[in-house]
Amino acid sequence: MKRALVYLDPAAVTDSLDLVDVASRMYGPDGCAIYGLCVGASEEAGHGVVDHLIRVDDDRIARHDIVNITNCIEELQDEYRFDAILVPATTFGRMLAPRAAMRLHVGLVADVTAVRCREDRIELVRPAFSGRMLASIVNRGRVPVMMSVRQNVFTHEPRHTRETRIVDFVPQRVRNSGVRLVERQKKTEAIDIRGSDVLVAGGGGVLRHFGRLEALAEELHGMVAASRRVVDSGVAPRHIQVGQSGKTVSPRLYIALGISGSIQHVVGLKKAEYVISVNSNRHAPICSLSDIVVEGDAREFIERMVERIGRGGPVPPDSRDTIHNLRNDGGTA
Amino acid sequence: MVKPVPDVESFVYDYERNVLVRDGVHEVLNPEDATALAIALEIKKASPETVIETVTTAPRGVVPHLEDLVRRGVDRATLISDPWFVGSDTYVTSRILARAVEDIPHDVVFSGTHTTDGGTSHVPPQLAEASSIAQMSNILDIDIATLTKECATVDVDGEDAVLRFEIDLPAVLSFQYAPRRKLPYISYEDLNRDVGDRIRIVTNDDLGFDRAEVGLEGSLTQVARVEVKRLERKDTLFVRNDDAGIEAVYRFLMHKGFLPS
Repeated sequence: MKRALVYLDPAAVTDSLDLVDVASRMYGPDGCAIYGLCVGASEEAGHGVVDHLIRVDDDRIARHDIVNITNCIEELQDEYRFDAILVPATTFGRMLAPRAAMRLHVGLVADVTAVRCREDRIELVRPAFSGRMLASIVNRGRVPVMMSVRQNVFTHEPRHTRETRIVDFVPQRVRNSGVRLVERQKKTEAIDIRGSDVLVAGGGGVLRHFGRLEALAEELHGMVAASRRVVDSGVAPRHIQVGQSGKTVSPRLYIALGISGSIQHVVGLKKAEYVISVNSNRHAPICSLSDIVVEGDAREFIERMVERIGRGGPVPPDSRDTIHNLRNDGGTA
Repeated sequence: MVKPVPDVESFVYDYERNVLVRDGVHEVLNPEDATALAIALEIKKASPETVIETVTTAPRGVVPHLEDLVRRGVDRATLISDPWFVGSDTYVTSRILARAVEDIPHDVVFSGTHTTDGGTSHVPPQLAEASSIAQMSNILDIDIATLTKECATVDVDGEDAVLRFEIDLPAVLSFQYAPRRKLPYISYEDLNRDVGDRIRIVTNDDLGFDRAEVGLEGSLTQVARVEVKRLERKDTLFVRNDDAGIEAVYRFLMHKGFLPS
């Protein structure tokens, strides 16, 4: 029986528990005992999902204390000899995993989005060049296999409830890490675009009118999202960014307004069921991924669409004919 | 810690051939490293006795980039370059950097959080671990007014909150991209200034690693293969932004259940 340690980030416990799916893919659904490591809080969430819940409740170790959490992982590795250590690629997970890998002298693969087992070796797939390419990485012999895992890519759907044993772990190697939290300001916009069925996303083409996206999102009961260009310009907050350096989303409907669709953006569109794009350039990369391309000005589209939805009612029969004739005519209608 | 990277924004995807076109792509300073450097230069402006030295691991071809940084206000640039180091993964790269940084007197190490090429974000935390000091990524801002040689106050972009930390120095502080923080322009008289004496090249003769510790051989991970991400082309309906086009979208939304029919 293999052993996998999953770090449960207190800021993203549910996402962390999805990493159990990664362990199942590597070792089979019943081939691996799951150890959850939980520092400071939220231990309830692991119940029934992990086999062993290792709790660290020590006043000297804050949840952001990467140095001492690394010390804990080192001690736990000495004791349990894990075959794999999985860390969610959260803000702090991405600081913890490299540090712990360095300490344990093992390789680390970042931001894993897929796992492939080939002839007895495990290949971990990650995006490179800002998501433009996929690299398959193998670990050279040493255990544990370590990785940080991109959030919202794997989903753990338990086949059965595990009997969870609680282990209260008292670390021996604690030192002053020299990092003190002095203030915590909760982000007011605690919305998560990943939970929305409909996303109305804006890019460079609507930079100056980004505020108008909200009206369309509201009509469709969706949320507003943004490309990196918009976020880097300071017009939209980073937590609504879609793409390689932002969030991976799987909405039913994605409306891309003034977004060219660089590959770094498109990799964030994991399984968008339908894509409608509005762009003045019909050769923009996003158009190839779209169900409908509206060729034209995105701002004007928003106004017209909001007005049309507001007016409501069925589609007049004559326009259905028009639409039928439009299909695959090369956009000249 | 700075690194020139290929300008990934100029990669073009060819849907017909399913390849990434990288012809003629030039190198730029990694954007987050530029932010870190811009902040360092702001600190130097406020406290002119500050000395800024950049450290880079790269082939020797990047020297013109480093000269450019010196002309923008950096005091010295160290380039770590050795044929043995080619193919090193982040574990090995961090060990190489840690050994080189040991020889450079410093109070703090600034870097970007991630690079646009590898994008692993491993090197800053691993350098810190190899040097037994603290590290923080995703820094939005540093309080220059209260910065001392012993302590820095930084704001960090966390999952659900902005967190303010006091961090004892030395530490590795890794910044997020901040477009408003730009590197200064090179003044006209500095455009062709000879800065060769400010560039130092460090090789393995200086660092003394065994052959088996570095490069592909010393790396703990190995790239098995690299492929271009396949993007599927859909059967797309093209419409214009006119009444018929709006009706087409409206009908689509209604058919798919996004609007009440």
